Amino acid sequence: MAGNFEPKILGIFCNWCSYAGADMAGTSRMQYPPNVRIIRVLCSGRVDPQFVLKALELGADGVLVAGCHHGDCHYVKGNYRAERRIALLKRMLQQLSIEPERLMLKWISASEGAELVQTVEEFVNILKELGPSPLRKTG
Amino acid sequence: MPVKVMFVQLASCWGCHQSLLDLHETLADVLPQLEIVFWHTVVDHKLHDVEKLPDKSVNVGFTEGFCRTEEDLHLLKLARQKCKLLVSYGTCSTYGSIPSLLNLYPIEEALSRKFKEAESVVDGRIPDKHVPKMLEYVKPNREYVNYDLFLPGCPPEPPLIAEVVTSLLKGEMPKLKERTLCDECPRVKSEVIVIKKIKRDFEGIPEPEKCLLEQGYICMGPATREGCGAVCPSAGFPCKGCMGPGPNVMDQGAKMLSALASIVDYESISPEELVNAVKDVVGTFSRFTLPSSIIPKAVFKKK
Repeated sequence: MAGNFEPKILGIFCNWCSYAGADMAGTSRMQYPPNVRIIRVLCSGRVDPQFVLKALELGADGVLVAGCHHGDCHYVKGNYRAERRIALLKRMLQQLSIEPERLMLKWISASEGAELVQTVEEFVNILKELGPSPLRKTG
Repeated sequence: MPVKVMFVQLASCWGCHQSLLDLHETLADVLPQLEIVFWHTVVDHKLHDVEKLPDKSVNVGFTEGFCRTEEDLHLLKLARQKCKLLVSYGTCSTYGSIPSLLNLYPIEEALSRKFKEAESVVDGRIPDKHVPKMLEYVKPNREYVNYDLFLPGCPPEPPLIAEVVTSLLKGEMPKLKERTLCDECPRVKSEVIVIKKIKRDFEGIPEPEKCLLEQGYICMGPATREGCGAVCPSAGFPCKGCMGPGPNVMDQGAKMLSALASIVDYESISPEELVNAVKDVVGTFSRFTLPSSIIPKAVFKKK
């Protein structure tokens, strides 16, 4: 199991920066691990903590939330909200005995395709180290 | 003809029944209309008396508390079997409430702490004879049986109980209000709330008129259902969320966490400072609803 474990990652990306960043990685033909399934939201401030908890409950091994850098948010303050929510959520996960490392928040701008590739690679490695989520229902 | 009722106490503190007694004189009008077939702390009917009753022969059943032991589960299923209408009475029965925060620990660890490691215990042992078996973790009662009505509150406020009991006696199904607590809270709220400092409940004296959340106290109002008459905020104490989540909310804790994170001032409070100010995230936001949350218990790796 441990040898060929491929983590399932839910990516929740903001429309204006990170989703465009993923597009950039795609159009630049950069290669990155196929473990991440991306959902586009308009802003990282739209990421309801219930989305993250539900994804983990359904068996996702990790959740990657990505948004604009500080000061770049299309809606001015959405990413500041996301940052504080994720910080509280990580503590909540810790109390629920789920490794807080399974939740990652990154700032990726529309031009940072390479940054996205690096982030996904890094996250996949972290999750491979942690092993499958204890909430996973099937192998 | 008197209405047959039964009151079932599962794992709970009896506070909800206490609240029923707080109806005072109203009880004098209600009691003669009732025939109590089972209420093991009040009338002397035994469990086997209930077991002998025909199915669906009791008009209304009230369950207080959650299922902690196999006996609780048996009682709950029995109540469903014998009652035409089953009311989930109080927050323990509806959402799990405070004692269910034990879901954060493995049951073996909890039993060992209580019976062996507690400071007052000498030569302790975990009782295993003549006691019902503990269930591994708390699930909300609605996952075991179907309910006809939920009456949350820790405890439900007497006016709410009176409303429900009177309409049930009239043969009508009571309709509970479903907005959030802030809608019925008399405190004055600004259009935009920005918190510069988060205060613990005991810090300072809150201003009498202004919204408690605005003053920096963690008040669960925005994520909590109305119906209690905002008793705590009216008395100067922040809401703790005992009425459970508001309409269309799956997870009260996550919702309040989200609300608080969006109203803190970003320049005054960093994410780390916010986490340190809240400290116990689950115990603050999911205090009453952990077993009904999206992730209802801590996940322990199988050995």
